[in-house]
Formats: sequence, structure tokens, C-alpha cells
Amino acid sequence: MAIPLRGRLRRYGTSYAMLLPFLALFAAFLIWPLANSLYLSFTTFDGINPATFTGLDNFRRLTADDRFLHAIGNTSLYVVASVLLGTLLSLGLALAFDGPGWSHRIMRTVFFLPSVTSSIALMLMWKWVLFPSDVGLANTIVSWFGGGAVAWLATPGLTIPILVLMSVWGGMGYGMILYVAGLGSIPREYYEAAEIDGASAWRRFRHITLPLLRPVTTYVVVTGLIGAFQVFEAVYIVFRGTNSVGGVLDSGLMIVPYLYDQGFTHFKLGYASAIAWVLFLIIFVLSLVNLRLGRAMKEL
Amino acid sequence: MAVAPVETITRAAPGRGGGTPSGRRRSGTGGRLLRLPFYLLSLTMVVPFYWLLITVFKPPSELARTPPSFVPHSPTVANFYDAQWSPERINPGHLQGIFQRFQVDFGFWRFLGNSLFITAVTTVGSLLICSLAAYVLAKHDIKGRRAIFLMVIASMMVPWQTTLIPNYVIMRNLGWLDSYAAYIMPALAKAFVLFFLVQFLQSLPDELIQAARVDGAGEWRIWWQIVLPLLRPALAAMSIFIVLAEWNNFLWPLIIVQSDEMANLPVALARLNSYYAGPDHQGAIMAGGLLASVPTIVFFLLFQRYFVRGIALSGLKG
Repeated sequence: MAIPLRGRLRRYGTSYAMLLPFLALFAAFLIWPLANSLYLSFTTFDGINPATFTGLDNFRRLTADDRFLHAIGNTSLYVVASVLLGTLLSLGLALAFDGPGWSHRIMRTVFFLPSVTSSIALMLMWKWVLFPSDVGLANTIVSWFGGGAVAWLATPGLTIPILVLMSVWGGMGYGMILYVAGLGSIPREYYEAAEIDGASAWRRFRHITLPLLRPVTTYVVVTGLIGAFQVFEAVYIVFRGTNSVGGVLDSGLMIVPYLYDQGFTHFKLGYASAIAWVLFLIIFVLSLVNLRLGRAMKEL
Repeated sequence: MAVAPVETITRAAPGRGGGTPSGRRRSGTGGRLLRLPFYLLSLTMVVPFYWLLITVFKPPSELARTPPSFVPHSPTVANFYDAQWSPERINPGHLQGIFQRFQVDFGFWRFLGNSLFITAVTTVGSLLICSLAAYVLAKHDIKGRRAIFLMVIASMMVPWQTTLIPNYVIMRNLGWLDSYAAYIMPALAKAFVLFFLVQFLQSLPDELIQAARVDGAGEWRIWWQIVLPLLRPALAAMSIFIVLAEWNNFLWPLIIVQSDEMANLPVALARLNSYYAGPDHQGAIMAGGLLASVPTIVFFLLFQRYFVRGIALSGLKG
């Protein structure tokens, strides 16, 4: 059935008109800025004077920038520790509390609570829990065991562990929900068959549950990695000192806080763009790995 | 904070019978023993929230006392509104409540209002814009459809911070810094939402839409009267992600907001936190944090089922 030309034009015209709001905003605030940020990463730009092209200078400087390398190191440590711990605990929680009974539902809600609480409120809460003098909750608990007040936020060696703790504490309930959904999609027949064959609980877990949860695990790990690389608020709200965005001795300096510091405290917008592109490359590679893993999973 | 239990997720998982997963349930004392560490872990979840809750109702004198009390001796609402305080006679024994601290019109209400307004407009706006585009990409046979969809998927790999600096420059050049437009406009075209809605629409049959076309309905009317109602569960799931993201938005507002009036809740609370460091101010700061959490908790209670299902769907499809 051939549609007359006028009708076709009218229909396709409508289609494009319907796409227009999305595409216009998408181009204006994502595609164009992305291209622009790539360009800016090859320039020196203070936001006021026109950008001057300096080629690979920014990237060359990044490789020798101690603060940046420190930020990369901190971020990697934080990402690995928080994702590893967070994933393990999410899975453990899901296995422990995935039933329909009221006690399990209450436990799920308890662990899910941080996910529905304003994140700024959580950061402020942590800052108050870790208050340096004896009025803080953490120090009160330490004193019960005979310890003296700890300067939690001013001890460089504690910065990354605290950031990991905050991230795991706040995120494991979310991962738990994903795992519970994953557990729910495993057909019960597999377990019944295994039980008839006399497989132990551990073998059932090892050979049925874990392999069938692989897609969920991949999702939890990859989205966890991507989210962790972008950490900002926790560092900025809890650890920012008077003169450094990264806390004491930059012990909590990460990629995005450093980007913010270079871009919006020192107004080195070109240099900050180069940092943004390093972040982009890291996350791009992770996403590709995610896609590859997803495809490999389907072929199995 | 009374939050109802997270609803059973068994319904969220597609393609299976539901009911008790008795096959893998470790029951009896063995299971309880394995669960014990997790029950202990749940204490670490509850205690900080309890700490926040009692802090809010402690008078300043009690906040600075060591060792701290675990039940407020003389509960007060002064951290919200301090009746004793007046701007003329500054009395060191009294502190302003959270509603008295900000020197802007309407005080703390202003930030609550800003956050609510920005979140509502962004959520409704982006769902309308994305559903419109999703309808075309899923159900119209136009040229370039594949290319557009591929570009949108590819863009999901871009961390939004990469576009932070150019977007800041754009806002500055447009004269939009410190405006609602700067909050809302860049947040409307969401690649993930479009992707999710297209996936959802593709799984729905074309017959309804074709029948409407035969009856002479225009495309806009089909979108409004047929596609949007069909999309309802998907829109509900997506609105949860958008609402939470906008309500907690921090880095972008931190950059575009200059005046006190235009701050959203996170920025206002972060500023408050950086002005006051002493323990006797923590009550008011925590009161602000508590109030900032109320809307998302209420939202969660209202849409609990969609909440959990939305999260589950995103993970299972991922």
C-alpha cells in the first residue's frame, strides 16, 4: 500500500517534530559540550580570555602532576575496596533476607533506608557521627573500649577507609535489591532437582545460584565501578578542609574533586577538561568491558 | 522515621511463578546462625539514623556535653524554630533554628521550594520529551532512526562530568547562571530514560496504534491518549530515578548557583555546614538534613512497589 507523497511528508514531518525537543536538548547540552570539552582539553583556558591551543600540553602535564597521580591512586584504591566489599555484602544480604516473611521485609527496608534518604543528609550525619571530640558517636563508642578521642577526619590514614565504609554502608541495600530480584528469577525446579540428586546446600549455591546470578553480578560490579569513579559529594562535604578540597594532605583527593578544584577553584578550565577526558576514558573502557561481558554471557 | 517494609520483590522478576522460593531456603538453626552477622550489621544501619533523630531534638547545651546522651534529657524543637532567639538580642544561650538561619525571603522554605520545583519540572518535562522521542524511535519507520538510537546508547557511556565545563560556559554565555533554566534545561534529555522507554515500547504490540491511525487519530493524539497510558509502568519506574537524581543533585548546582536564593537543598545545607563547625550547631544542621529527607521518604512510601520494581528491572535488563 503506497502512501501518497503528501501524506508521507506530513507523517514523517510529524515524526521529526516529535523527535525535535529531545534531539535539540541532547545536541545542545550533551553532544556539543562533549566535542567542546575535547577541544578545551587541548587548550589553555581560564574562562575569561579566549582559549589558546596548546596541543597535548595538558595531558603531558597530567602525567607529571603529583596531585593528579595521587588522586588516581586514591580513586583506584577506593573503587576496588568499595565495590568488592559492597558487592559481597549485597549478595550476602540478599541470600539472608530474600524471603517473603515480615522479618525479612523489615530487614530489607532497614538496609535500603540510605537509598531513600537525602544523600546530603547522610553526609552531614556521617560528619556528626565522626565528630572529632568526645561528643561524637564514633568516639563515644571508642571510649567504651577505653580508647581516647580519634581525629577521624584529620587522620590521613583513615580517610580512604572511612570513604569506603560510607559508600558500602549507603550502597549495599541497593545492591541487595538487585540480587533479590536476580534470586527470584532462578527457577525453583533447579533446586528441587539438585536436592533430589542429594546436592548439599553449598554445592547448590556454588553450581546453581552463583552462575545464574552472573548477569546481576556483572551489573552490580560495573555500575558500582562507574559510580565509584565519580565520587564527589562524600569528599567535598565530609573531608574538605579550609584550604584543600581533598581533606588533610589530600588524603581523600579523587578524580572528580580534583576536576572541580582545578576548574572552579583555580579556573584552569582547559586543564580540568583534560582531567574530565581521563575520567571519560576510564568509564568508556569499563562500559566496553561491560558490553563484552554481557555478550560473552549470552553465548554461554 | 517509620518506613514500611520493602515489598516482596518476587513480583518484579519476570517469567516465573513467584511464591516462596523454598527450594533454596536455608531454614532452621543453621540458617539463623548464618544470618546472625547480618542482624548485627543491621544495628550499624539503625544506630546512625537514631543518632541523627535524637540530635535534632537536643538543646544546644546537651549537644556539646560529654559523654553524649542517648535519650534527650530535655527534648526541644529549638533546632527547627527557636522561640527564644531574636535577631536583635543575640543571646549566646540560644541558637537559631533551621527556619531562622537563612537571610533570604521565606528562609529554609525557599530551598525546599526550589528543590521541589526543580525536581517536579525536570521529572515531568523529561518524561514527556523522552516519551515523545521514544514513541517515534520505537514505532515510526523513519530514516535515521537506527543512527539516532545508536548515538543515544553510545552517549550513556559518557560520564556527565565530562560535559561539566562546556555546559558551565554555555550557561554563563546565555546568562543563565543562577537561574532555574540552568538547573532544568540540561537535565531534560536523558539518554537512559529514552533507551528504557524505547525498549519498553518495542515489547508492546503495534495493533493499538495502527487501529487508532485507521480511526483517523493524529500522531500527537496517539502519543497522548494511547502511548502515554501504555507507558505508565515504565514512566513510574523512570520517575523514581529522575526524582532521586534531581533531589540529590549537588555538583552541578554548586557550580551554577551564586546567590543564596537560588540554592537547592543540598547546596544550602552544604553552605550551612561550612559556616558552622561547633557541636551546638549540629542540631539545626541535622534538622535540615532530616527535612531534606522527608520528601524522598514520602515518595518512597507512596510508590514503594514501583520503586523496588524499577530498580529490579534496571538490573535484570542491564
